[in-house]
Amino acid sequence: MLTHALDVIRNFMHADGAAFLPQLELLLFAVGILAMDTWISQKEKYWSPTLALAGVVFSGLTLWMLRARISTGAEFTAVHDTIIVDTYFLFFSALLLAASALVILLSVNEGSIPLRHKARYYALLLFACAAMMFAVSAVDLLVMFLALEVAALSCFFLAALRGVSSKPEPSSVKFMLGSLFGSAILAYGFSLLYGLSAATNIGKIASALTRRHNISKVIAVSHQPGAHGAQMYQLLQSRLPEALHWRPFMLETLPIAAFLLVLFALLAKTKAASMHRLVESAHSASPITPVLFLSGGFIVAMLASLMRLTLTVFGEYHDTWWPVVVAVALALIAAGVVASLRQKTFSDILACASCAQIGYMLLALISGDETALTALVYYLFTYLFIVSGAFAVLLAARNQSAAGPQMASLNDLGGRSPVVAVLLVIFVIALAGFPPTAGFFARYSLFQSLWRSGHRYTAWCAAFLALPLAWSYLRIAVHACRRSPDSNAETAAVSLGAPEAIVLGVCAFVSLAAGLYSEPFMRMARYAFGQ
Amino acid sequence: MLPISDYLFLSFTLLLIGVIGVITRRSLVIKLFSIEMILNAAGINLMAFARFFADAAGETFAAFIILMVVAQVLVALAIIAVVFTRWFNVSTAPAKHPEQGVPAS
Repeated sequence: MLTHALDVIRNFMHADGAAFLPQLELLLFAVGILAMDTWISQKEKYWSPTLALAGVVFSGLTLWMLRARISTGAEFTAVHDTIIVDTYFLFFSALLLAASALVILLSVNEGSIPLRHKARYYALLLFACAAMMFAVSAVDLLVMFLALEVAALSCFFLAALRGVSSKPEPSSVKFMLGSLFGSAILAYGFSLLYGLSAATNIGKIASALTRRHNISKVIAVSHQPGAHGAQMYQLLQSRLPEALHWRPFMLETLPIAAFLLVLFALLAKTKAASMHRLVESAHSASPITPVLFLSGGFIVAMLASLMRLTLTVFGEYHDTWWPVVVAVALALIAAGVVASLRQKTFSDILACASCAQIGYMLLALISGDETALTALVYYLFTYLFIVSGAFAVLLAARNQSAAGPQMASLNDLGGRSPVVAVLLVIFVIALAGFPPTAGFFARYSLFQSLWRSGHRYTAWCAAFLALPLAWSYLRIAVHACRRSPDSNAETAAVSLGAPEAIVLGVCAFVSLAAGLYSEPFMRMARYAFGQ
Repeated sequence: MLPISDYLFLSFTLLLIGVIGVITRRSLVIKLFSIEMILNAAGINLMAFARFFADAAGETFAAFIILMVVAQVLVALAIIAVVFTRWFNVSTAPAKHPEQGVPAS
């Protein structure tokens, strides 16, 4: 009987189970961390991050094996065509695992996470990462919705994590409400898509929507008086009786309404994540690494899901919705720039400016061609590493400074810790979009795709808004390099532990190498689309 | 069964009420109720279309939405309760910092 059970499990893992094995490994390691935390002593708490990293590594190895499998054959679907394993899933899953690994490494020495909460913290990170990987692989509306909700629930707990002061911050409530609002709108948009197609699979929805235009013409004819109209009515009654319940106006406008609702919902969730922690007090000691995870991995998952839906379901309506996306993108950029110029703390500048960065990424959807989408994926990839590096410097500076997240903690960083200051300047220049960093090449690729597709005014507006955005980032570098005349200014050098050094090294390498020699990174971005 | 447009009109009305509630109201609890109203509007759509197409997928989707609503309400109320113990306030209106000795209202 045991042999039979093992055979069943083995057959399942060779078939459908292989499709979600990376996620399953993350879940098993997360459960293992929680179970192990009940019996290990305080001195052995280092096993929690070790197991978490091991889970990420194992999951990455499984992704590599899946890559070999789909390179020999085509992509494959599983669980009744609800999830897919394709190059898009492999690329974004690897990116999510990289984001999780960076956050885990930075969390090892983060003193503001209480020791008694660390196991739960690492388990929540792995749960959130697994749910986001499910969201990226989902080709069914229900699976995508559930995966995004589970990821959001895990992130609610991460965002509400209390620091050593044991006082909760209200910013976690605002993030939770923003994300729930986005989920509710997303559910409504998905319900409209289901109603238009009688299917939850996005491929079937796309093919149903391509037929809807012809059906609406037939319905319009069937409502006309006369013999022709009656004949068309009888034809519909015999072949497609459910079409008689629809009005042509509804069939034409509901897909656009569904697209606007889905776009708004996913952007609301992304904006809620990126603006997290803005209302904190200046002396807050809440953990920073959850903010990094929300600013990096969560945004990658939301944008990846939005891209899959936009390209598969709404691709046919590109001529109708691109003006809306232009307006939304430019509004996000302008709002992010204005908000970031008014902020006074390092983390708030990064949070507000990330809104603008999301706006720039949305611009790639306007062109919709292969170059633009490759540029968008490249932008997401490099942005994740650059912002992780910036947060790593913030974390290191905060650990040494009594000034908290204020800019004062960066005063005379060049004199105190030249290496850290140089790294900070690299990340800030990359975020600002100056050459020879990856940030410059990412934005240049986006503008190039906009120019080639004829959206020149949009490219000019976006380029114009890049100047104040660059200044809001450069303020940080100016503070770091300026020697403060204040006698109470920070004088302690910023020391880096091994995990922080690894993270900073990797992020600095990507920030510079992807700008100086971008070809391997562009090839990786093209791999996401099967090229 | 009523025409599908009637169900769409009802759900759209609920959607509008929910969106207006989230945008205009300050109380966290009422914002949460407004969000639940939007989710119920989505549920009405799904059930109506499932009945219309005689398809169980819509009903399954609606059932999962209700499950997610329950889970999110539990988590949200727990987080709001914890925040309330510190800030003595469930309003999203700008409030003075409690450490400055001014109770938030």
